[in-house]
Amino acid sequence: MTRRYDPLTLISFRDFIRCLAVLFAALSLTPTAWAAAGDVEAGRARAQTCMVCHGAQGISQMSGVPHLAGNGDQFLQWQLVFYRSGRRQNPVMNALATNLTDADIRNLGAYFASLPPPGTSPVANPDAGLVAQGQAITTQRNCAVCHTDTFVGAAAAPRLARQRPEYLAKALSDYRSGTRPSLGLAAMTEASAGLGDADILAVAQFLATVP
Amino acid sequence: MHIRKTLISWGFRATLLGALAGTAMLTTTAPAAAQGLKSYDSSKPSFWKNPPPDWFLGDETQAQKGLAPPVGPATPTPLAELETNLKNIKLPAGFKIEVYASGLPEARQMAWGANGTLFVGSFGATNVYAVTNANGKREVKTILKGLTMPTGLAFRNGALYVIAIDKLLRYDNAEANLDHMPKPVVVYDDMPSYVAHGWKYLVTDKDGAMYIPFGPPFNVGIPPTSVSQIRRVHSDTGLAELVAVGVRNSVGGDIDPRSGDYWFTENARDWISDDLPSDKLNHISRLGQHFGYPYCHQGDLPDPKFAMGHSCSEFTPPVVNLGAHVAPLGMKFYNGAMFPAEYKNNIFVAFHGSWNRHQYQGARIERIVVDADGKNPHQEIFAQGWLTGKQDYSGRPDDILLAADGSMLVSDDWAGAIYRISYAK
Ligand code: HEC
Ligand code: HEC
Repeated sequence: MTRRYDPLTLISFRDFIRCLAVLFAALSLTPTAWAAAGDVEAGRARAQTCMVCHGAQGISQMSGVPHLAGNGDQFLQWQLVFYRSGRRQNPVMNALATNLTDADIRNLGAYFASLPPPGTSPVANPDAGLVAQGQAITTQRNCAVCHTDTFVGAAAAPRLARQRPEYLAKALSDYRSGTRPSLGLAAMTEASAGLGDADILAVAQFLATVP
Repeated sequence: MHIRKTLISWGFRATLLGALAGTAMLTTTAPAAAQGLKSYDSSKPSFWKNPPPDWFLGDETQAQKGLAPPVGPATPTPLAELETNLKNIKLPAGFKIEVYASGLPEARQMAWGANGTLFVGSFGATNVYAVTNANGKREVKTILKGLTMPTGLAFRNGALYVIAIDKLLRYDNAEANLDHMPKPVVVYDDMPSYVAHGWKYLVTDKDGAMYIPFGPPFNVGIPPTSVSQIRRVHSDTGLAELVAVGVRNSVGGDIDPRSGDYWFTENARDWISDDLPSDKLNHISRLGQHFGYPYCHQGDLPDPKFAMGHSCSEFTPPVVNLGAHVAPLGMKFYNGAMFPAEYKNNIFVAFHGSWNRHQYQGARIERIVVDADGKNPHQEIFAQGWLTGKQDYSGRPDDILLAADGSMLVSDDWAGAIYRISYAK
């Protein structure tokens, strides 16, 4: 407590993560903070154009395209808002999102959040060494405090479990380089700083194979 | 009331002395703990230009730990839900609140065009909106996109002025060109590009000079040159005067119709405690007054780290301390004809509400009754009900504007909406 008034005020990375975790926990416990959920059926109808890439049930079979099924409503909505405004850059998604209305975004968020998440890992033959290394890094860096112990995500922090590994790796390097600004508190800019390329591959392999 | 406040701040100072004494011990005895620690040294230009994403967490305290700005809804609140929310807003008898416009993400300062267009700035959404009335139907248009934090705007001689961090832009003949806004003329750009607390508010006086606040790019510290001040920029010539110094983050002000003086709201530093220091309402009675930041807060609380021997009596005290972490933003003197006579020349302030407090407060509209010389201030709640839980909002008021009929418009950047408050006997 006393060190808080030290002229060289310091706060550890661990403390920082914990304090963000409290915020995310608070958000997930207070659903009234959010606008009412969108319309799942309207979302299903609007999602027909998304299936080509994101898969029939929101489970992608395409390299570089993330699964959407079972991810958080708020997370999905924010990402669509970011693509629409250009704050998150991807030529395909930017073009698609410009035509989305606010109601579309709420409905799409509700729809993809309602789908069952991937039941199996996208990695056929996981590299046990890489998995162990990735698990060690996520433990050491407290990734679970926001993404939950089972990595299913909560509130603004997305589901990572059984997400496609090449996509996870791209997402992490985008945060690290600053090309993908992170929501609100910039949680991921902070969390990905200092990860090496090899670390990213290991973390992606681990998350993609979380049981 | 005054005595009690003084006691609290003295108790607080005693605790601080203890804390400072302990600090020396801790730094010498725990070198190992310093490994992997994150520094929030805000004294370097690199910090101001590229503040770490969590810059507002500087100088965190043990007791305040874990608090961070809440993430709002991804899209503006739909009309039906806004109407439900407004059922919970409490106002004095005879007043009524309704939705004026919806679907304006992160709506901030508002200004009227000469022909009745309502212009609205925004925060991170990068947009400027126009709310128009065509054939009795109200319509919201996004007229400008891609500006950096275009929170502040003003209208004068047919032109829309928008301030986006380090540029004051003028869009000529704006109301006739809402669908194709002209290329802007840069009126004034002698401003630093710091984004943190660099979002601004514009108030025009009768001569067309614009009052512009400059916040420091961090929570607390010795500010870089050229910030922590309020300037008055002559929009015709681009000449700028320094009107106040020692100001932290001010995002609201207005000119007193009684005296022509500029009054402004000011958000106090964070990370002292839930109840300290208070946010302020200030009055510039003399050019060049110093309002205390970073040395002294709320008129009587020397900063634990940056007081550096200064005493609070050296600085201009606030007219009134509005409360801790209430976040006073936009304000207006009431000079309309609709509200009862006792509201004449009262100040209405939009309280945006807390983030650096365990139990949020604010998210309401406050009424301040005060003499033109700043004497006899009295403060009371005018409209409340947007606080829906311990750390939960259904909306966050951030600016106030009076309409020609004397009714009051309120912008809300959480819900992305504008409300109208009117009075009938
Ligand atoms: C042509 C292929 C394609 C189509 C069609 C498509 N997407 Fe995407 N989507 C992508 C790719 C590729 C990415 C990853 C981009 C990146 O790396 O930022 C993505 C990312 C996303 C993300 C971010 C997910 C995350 O985990 O961060 C969301 C949400 C999303 N898409 C929703 C949609 C919706 C809704 C539609 C239909 C309206 C749609 N997409 C249509 C290719 C597509
Ligand atoms: C303080 C909370 C927090 C911590 C700790 C955290 N994350 Fe995140 N994470 C988030 C949030 C919030 C997002 C969404 C950000 C955005 O807007 O892009 C996110 C997004 C991600 C994404 C993008 C997924 C997608 O579908 O686009 C990945 C991958 C990720 N995190 C991995 C990690 C890893 C690995 C760690 C540990 C090294 C970690 N996170 C630690 C909060 C956190």
